[in-house]
Amino acid sequence: SIITANQRISKFKNKGKDPTKLREKRISVCVELRKAHKNESFLKRRNISLSSLQDEEAHSPSYISNEMVALLSIEDIVRDVNSDSRESQTRGCQAARKLLSQERNLPLKEIIDAGLLSRFVSFLSMDDEATLQFEAAWALTNIASGTSWHTQQVVEHGAVPAFIALLASPMLHISEQAVWALGNIAGDGAAYRDILIECNVVPALLAFLMLSSQVGYLRNLTWTLSNLCRNKNPFPPLSAVQQLLPSLIQLLHLNDKDILSDACWAISYLSEGDNERIDVVVKTGIVPRLVELMSHEELSVMTPALRSIGNIVSGSDLQTQTAIDAGVLKVLPQLMRHPKASTQKEAAWALSNIAAGPSRQIQQLITCGLLPALVEQLRNGDFKTQREAVWAVTNFTSGGAVEQVVNLVQSGALEAIIDLLQVKDAKVILVILEAINNIFLAAEKLGETEKLTLLVEELGGLDRIEMLQNHDNDLVYQAAHALIEKYFGDGEVVGVKVDSTDDSFVFMTSEPQGTFEF
Amino acid sequence: MELNDANLQSLTEFLRKTLDPDPTVRRPAEKFLESVEGNLNYPLLLLTMLEKSQDTVIRVCAAVTFKNYIKRNWRIVEDEPNKVSDQDRTAIKANIVNLMLSSPEQIQKQLSDAISIIGREDFPQKWPDLLTEMVTRFRSGDFHIINGVLRTAHSLFKRYRHEFKSNELWSEIKLVLDTFALPLTELFKATIELCQTHAADVNALKVLFSSLTLISKLFYSLNFQDLPEFFEDNMETWMTNFHGLLTLDNKLLQTNDEEEAGLLELLKSQICDNAALYAQKYDEEFQPYLPRFVTAIWNLLVSTGQEVKYDLLVSNAIQFLASVCERPHYKHLFEDQNTLTSICEKVIVPNMEFRSADEEAFEDNSEEYIRRDLEGSDIDTRRRAACDLVRGLCKFFEGPVTAIFSGYVSSMLGEYAKNPGENWKHKDAAIYLVTSLASKAQTQKHGITQANELVNLNEFFVNHILSDLKSPNVNEFPVLKADAIKYVMIFRSQLPKEQLLQAVPLLISHLQAESTVEHTYSAHALERLFTMRGPNNTTLITPAEMAPFTEQLLNNLFKALALPGSAENEYIMKAIMRSFSLLQESIVPYIPTLIGQLTHKLLLVSKNPSKPHFNHYLFESLCLSVRITCKANPTTVSSFEEALFPVITEILQNDVQEFLPYVFQVMSLLLEIHSNSIPSSYMALFPHLLQPVLWERTGNIPPLVRLLQAYLEKGGASIAGSAADKIPGLLGVFQKLIASKANDHQGFYLLNSIIEHMPPESIIQYRKQIFILLFQRLQSSKTTKFIKSFLVFINLYCVKYGAIALQEIFDSIQPKMFGMVLEKIIIPEVQKVSGPVEKKICAVGITKVLTECPSMMDTEYTKLWTPLLQALIGLFELPEDDSIPDDEHFVDIEDAPGYQTAFSQLAFAGKKEHDPIGDSVGNPKILLAQSLYKLSTACPGRVPSMLSTSLNAEALQFLQGYLQAATVQLV
Repeated sequence: SIITANQRISKFKNKGKDPTKLREKRISVCVELRKAHKNESFLKRRNISLSSLQDEEAHSPSYISNEMVALLSIEDIVRDVNSDSRESQTRGCQAARKLLSQERNLPLKEIIDAGLLSRFVSFLSMDDEATLQFEAAWALTNIASGTSWHTQQVVEHGAVPAFIALLASPMLHISEQAVWALGNIAGDGAAYRDILIECNVVPALLAFLMLSSQVGYLRNLTWTLSNLCRNKNPFPPLSAVQQLLPSLIQLLHLNDKDILSDACWAISYLSEGDNERIDVVVKTGIVPRLVELMSHEELSVMTPALRSIGNIVSGSDLQTQTAIDAGVLKVLPQLMRHPKASTQKEAAWALSNIAAGPSRQIQQLITCGLLPALVEQLRNGDFKTQREAVWAVTNFTSGGAVEQVVNLVQSGALEAIIDLLQVKDAKVILVILEAINNIFLAAEKLGETEKLTLLVEELGGLDRIEMLQNHDNDLVYQAAHALIEKYFGDGEVVGVKVDSTDDSFVFMTSEPQGTFEF
Repeated sequence: MELNDANLQSLTEFLRKTLDPDPTVRRPAEKFLESVEGNLNYPLLLLTMLEKSQDTVIRVCAAVTFKNYIKRNWRIVEDEPNKVSDQDRTAIKANIVNLMLSSPEQIQKQLSDAISIIGREDFPQKWPDLLTEMVTRFRSGDFHIINGVLRTAHSLFKRYRHEFKSNELWSEIKLVLDTFALPLTELFKATIELCQTHAADVNALKVLFSSLTLISKLFYSLNFQDLPEFFEDNMETWMTNFHGLLTLDNKLLQTNDEEEAGLLELLKSQICDNAALYAQKYDEEFQPYLPRFVTAIWNLLVSTGQEVKYDLLVSNAIQFLASVCERPHYKHLFEDQNTLTSICEKVIVPNMEFRSADEEAFEDNSEEYIRRDLEGSDIDTRRRAACDLVRGLCKFFEGPVTAIFSGYVSSMLGEYAKNPGENWKHKDAAIYLVTSLASKAQTQKHGITQANELVNLNEFFVNHILSDLKSPNVNEFPVLKADAIKYVMIFRSQLPKEQLLQAVPLLISHLQAESTVEHTYSAHALERLFTMRGPNNTTLITPAEMAPFTEQLLNNLFKALALPGSAENEYIMKAIMRSFSLLQESIVPYIPTLIGQLTHKLLLVSKNPSKPHFNHYLFESLCLSVRITCKANPTTVSSFEEALFPVITEILQNDVQEFLPYVFQVMSLLLEIHSNSIPSSYMALFPHLLQPVLWERTGNIPPLVRLLQAYLEKGGASIAGSAADKIPGLLGVFQKLIASKANDHQGFYLLNSIIEHMPPESIIQYRKQIFILLFQRLQSSKTTKFIKSFLVFINLYCVKYGAIALQEIFDSIQPKMFGMVLEKIIIPEVQKVSGPVEKKICAVGITKVLTECPSMMDTEYTKLWTPLLQALIGLFELPEDDSIPDDEHFVDIEDAPGYQTAFSQLAFAGKKEHDPIGDSVGNPKILLAQSLYKLSTACPGRVPSMLSTSLNAEALQFLQGYLQAATVQLV
C-alpha cells in the first residue's frame, strides 16, 4: 500500500484557547475509503524492468547486454543455478533476472518455491565473480520489490548482511544494486527498516555517498535513505536519524529533481509526529532551503517540500516561527492558488496550523496578505481545500485578537463560511459554527454583538443556522441551537432551577454550629 | 419461560388485551408484559407468534411489541445488567433476517426497524454475517425480498450521512463497501435491465422503481463520508445509469394524485441529491459528468408540471443548478445568452408563479402563509429555490439576468394591464421577480439592506406599487395588495422617506381589509416603519408627522382585532404597542377608550392564554398606556387601577400562571407612581404575595421581588404598623431566596429594601438572625455573586445604622467576627463590586467604618485600618476586578444581577435605578477627605502617622488629591 496525504497525524499545535476541543480532534483517521493516488507519494518498492532501463540513460549502463541473455524455463534456470559451473550459474541467474524484469506476470513465487534464494544470496559474496554477483543482486532486488511476503523471503535467506557487505564493492554498478535492494527491504516497514539499521546500514551507505558524483547512484542512494526515514509505529531510532540527517541536508542542496524529491520526502517523514521529532529537523537549519523548494517548478519536489513545512508548522510556536522567518507566508499564497487541488489543500492545511498560533503569528499572516487567498479558497476551492480553510478560520478566530478577527470578517471570510454551512459534512459544519461563535465573542468585546447579528442575518446565516437545528447530528444541532438562543433569541430564556423547601416560608435560623471561618 | 404452547397461548391473550380500548383492561396487560419481558425466551415467544399466529392482528401486534422490546432492552449500558440473555440474542440474530424477509410488509417493516436497532449495537463486530446474509438475497430474484434487504440496509447505513468521521466509523464503512458495493452495483444494473424488460407491466415497474429509489438512497449514504475507491472505479456505470433515469419517463408510472409525489419523482429527487453530493464534494472526479447532469436536470425542470407532487423534485433540481452556477469553473455552462434566457424563462419564471395551492393557503390558512412568506419558513418551496437560483446566477451574470428579467417584468405587467381581473397573477409574479432580483441582503430588523443597483426600486414603487395601495377598494385583488404592502415593508430602508410617508395613510386604510394576510401585512409594515431610525437616533417618522393620522391609526388597529381570524393577531398587537411608543403623549386623549378595550381583551385571553407573543405585546401596550398618561398626570393612576384591578384580581384568583409575572410588573409600575403612601387595595393583597406557591415558580421571582420592593418603599411604615405579623413571612422569602445560588441576589434586593425602608424598631428583633443566615450561607457556599451582594448589603447597613452598630452586631455573633469579615471579605473582595450605585454604597459605608468606628482605632482591629483605606482608594481608582474563580465559570452566569431575561420582562414596565444614598453624598471621595479630617481633629497626629507608615505611595498620592479637592488638611 502507498502512503497518502491523509495518513499523517495532522495535529495542531497545543496553543490557543481550547486545544483539547479544536485541535486534538484533528488526528485524522487512518482508515481510507479513497483510491490511493500515486502522485501523493512515491513507490516504496521499485523493481528494475528492462523498459525502464532503456528509457533512461543513467539506468542503462553499457555492461548490460540483453541480447546475450537467453530465455529459459524455470526448470532450466533451477538446473543452471544449482549446477557447479560458474558459467551455468551465471546463465541461470541472468535468465532468472530477465524473467523478473518483465513488465508484468513476474514469477516471483515460482523462483522462491524453486528454492533459488539461498543460492542467489550465496552468489552475492563471490567478489571474484562480478557478473554473477551482479545478476544475483538484481534478481534478489526484484524479488524484494514484490509483496511483504516476497521481501520476507529475501531477508530470511540472509540477504541483509550480504547486501550490506556488497555496498563496498569496487564496482559501482554492483554497489548501486545493493543500495537498491536495501531500499526495497527498508521500504517494507518499520521492522525490516530497524533490522537494517541495527546491521549498521547507515554508515555503510553514507561511506559511499561522497565518493560518487554519479547522479544515478546518488538518486538510488537518496531513495534508499528516504525509505530508512519512513514508516512509523515506531518511528526510526533517533540515533540513526541523526546519523543520516547531515547527508540528507547535503543532498538537499544538489540540483537534481529526483534527488531533491526523495530527500524532501525523507524530511517530510522525519518531521512527522511530535515536536521533539520536528526539533531534530529544524535544528539542522534546513527550513529556509525547504521553503525555497516550495517554489520549485517540479511538482515532485514542491509537494514533499510543502508537506515538510506543513509538518513543521504543526509543531510549537517556536518551530513555526522558523518557517515564518524563512518566508513561508510569502510562498503560501501562490500555492493556495495552485492549479492542483491537492496542493491547494496541503497549503491550506499549513495555513490552518499557522493560524492556530499566537496572535503575533496571526498578525504576520495578515501582513503577508494571506487572507484574500484564504477567502478565495473558502469560496472556490474543492471540498477538501475548503475543509482545511474552514479550520484555518476557526483557529484564527479562537486565537486571534479582536482587531484581527474584525480584519478576517472584513476580508469576506464570514460570508464565505456561512455559504459553506450547506456542505454535506457534519464536522465541517460544526467547525464553522464554532468559528461563528468565536466571531461573536470578539463582537461582544467590541460591544457590537447586535451589528454582527444583523450581518449574519444579511448574509443568510440566520436561515442556515436555524435550519441546522434540524440536523441529525446531535452536536451540530446543539451548536446551532446555542447560537440561536444566545444571539438571535426573542429573549425567551429557559428558567433557572430553584431549590424547593417546605410549603411555607418560616423565617428561622438554627444557632450557628461551631464558629464561622471564611 | 418455556417455549411452549401454553406460554404462547397466555402471551397471545395478554397481547390481545393490550389492544383493548378500555384502560382498565389494557393497562394491567401492558404492566404484565413489562414484568415478564426480562425472562428467557420472551423475545423468541414474540417472534414465534408473529410468524405463526393465525390472527393477523396478533401477528402485527407481536411485531410491534418485539420492536419496542428491542428498542428498550438491546443496548448494553455500562454498569447496568444485560437485559437480554446471550442465548436469546444469538437466537434472534440467527433468525430475524429470514423472518423479516418472509413476512408480509407490515411485519417486515417492524422487523426491519428491529434489525437496524440491533445492527446499531452489534454490527459489524458482534454480527459479522449480517451483511453476507443480506447480500445473498439479492440473487433471489424476488423483489419483495430484495426490497426488504434494501430497506434494512438503508436504515443501517443512513447514519453515515450525519456522523463525524472516525476510525471506527470508517472501518465499518470499509467493511460494508467490501461486501456490499459490488452486489449493489450488480443489482442496480440488473434492476434497470428488468425495467426495460417489464416496461409495459405497471405492477412490476412499481416494485422495481421502489428498489431503484432505495438503491439510490444507499448510494448516497455509502458515498457521503468520502468517495470510496469502488465507486470511483465504477463511476461510469452509476452516473450513466443515473443520468438515464433522470431523463426517463414512463406514462405507466405517472400518478393522478396532485399532492403526493410518485415513484418517478422520488427516484429523480434522490438522483438530484446524489449528483449534488458529487458536485459538492468530489468535484474533481465528477467533472466529466457534470455538464450532462446540468442539461438533464434543466430539461427535467422545463418539462415538469406545476402540481404540488413535483415540489420536492423541482426544488431539489433548482437547488442543484443554483449550487453549480456559482462555481467559477462551471460559469461557462451558463454564460451563453440563450442558455440564460431559457433558464430565466423556463425554470425561474414558471416557478415563481402564484399557484392555486398558494391561493388556497392565502385564503384559508393565512397563518401558515404568513409564516412562509414573511418569516422565511419557505425553505423547501419552489419560489424559494427559484430565488436562490436568481441569486446564484447574479453572482456572475447580474447584468444580463437583470436585463432578461426586466423584459419579463414589463411583459407580465403588460398582460396584467390588459385584463387585471383575469391576469392579476402575472403582476404578482412580476413583483415577486423584482423582489428576488433586487434583494441581496435582508434582515428582519431593517428589511432589504443591500439591493441590486440595476433595479430602480423607487420607480417601480411609484409606477406599480402605489396604484394598488391607493386603490379605494381594499378588498379587491387582496394578493396584489398584500404584495404591495410587503414591497413597502421589505424595501423600507431603500425607499425615500417621502414615499414612506405617502404610504403610511394607505397602509392604515388597509388595516380594514377583510383578508387576514392583507391586514396583518399592513399592521406589520406600519410596525416596522415606526421602528426605523432617522438622524440623531430619533424615529424616522415623527409623532408630528403622524398627527393627521393618529386617530385613524388607533381606530383601525383596534378594529382590525375584531376582524374574523385576527382576535389574537400578534402583528396587530405589536403594531399597537409600537404606535403607542411612537406617538407618546398624543395618545393620551384616546386612552380612556383604549384602556377599556385593552382590559377587555386581557380578560378574554386570560381565560385561555394561547398566543404568548400576542399576550406579551398586550401587556406592553397596557404599560405604555399607564406610563405615558401618568407621566403627564400622576393622579390618573387611580383610574388605571380602577380599570385594571378587577382583571388582575381575577387573574390572581384563577392563578393564570403565564400572566402572573406580567401582572406583578404592571402592579409594580402602578404602585411606583404613587407618591408616598400605599392604597389599602394594595395592602389587602400583601399577604397573598408571600405565599410559597408563587415563589416556587422561577418566572415569578424577579417581578415579585420588584413588587415587594415597591411595597416597602411606599409602605414600609404601613407594613410595620398594620401588618407587623407578616414581617417573619417577608423575611422567610428572603431566607428562601438566599438559599439558592441562582436567586440570592434577589434576596439581597429584598433585604436592602427592608433595611432602607422599614422603621428600625420593627426589625430590630430579627437583625441577629439575618446576619447568622448570611454567615451560614457564606460559610457553605461563597460564590462571587453572593459576596458582591453581601458587601453592598453590609455597607448599606453601616450607612443606615452606623459603623458601631455594624461592628457590634458582628462581634455579638462571634468574638472578633468584625475583624475577620474585614480581613477575609471586605478588603480582598471590594474591588469586585460593580455598578455605580453599589460602589457608592460601599464607599460611604467603608468611610464610616474608617472614621466613625472607635474600635478601628483602639483595638487589634487597628492593624486593618490602613489596608481598608487602601482597598477603598482602590475601589475609587482601579478598574473593576471582573475575574471569576475557575470553579465558578459554570455557576449561574445567566443569573448575574441585572441580567433579568429569565422571566417575561416587559420593556415598557421598566424600573428606574434607585440610589438609597442619593444626593446626601455628592462625591464620596470628598466625603472620605472630610471624614478623615474630622477623625484627625479628634485624635491629632494619629491619622497622618498611620498614613505615612503603611499606606502605599500611589494610594497616598490619590488621597492627597481628595484632601486638596475638599480643601482640608489632616492634623
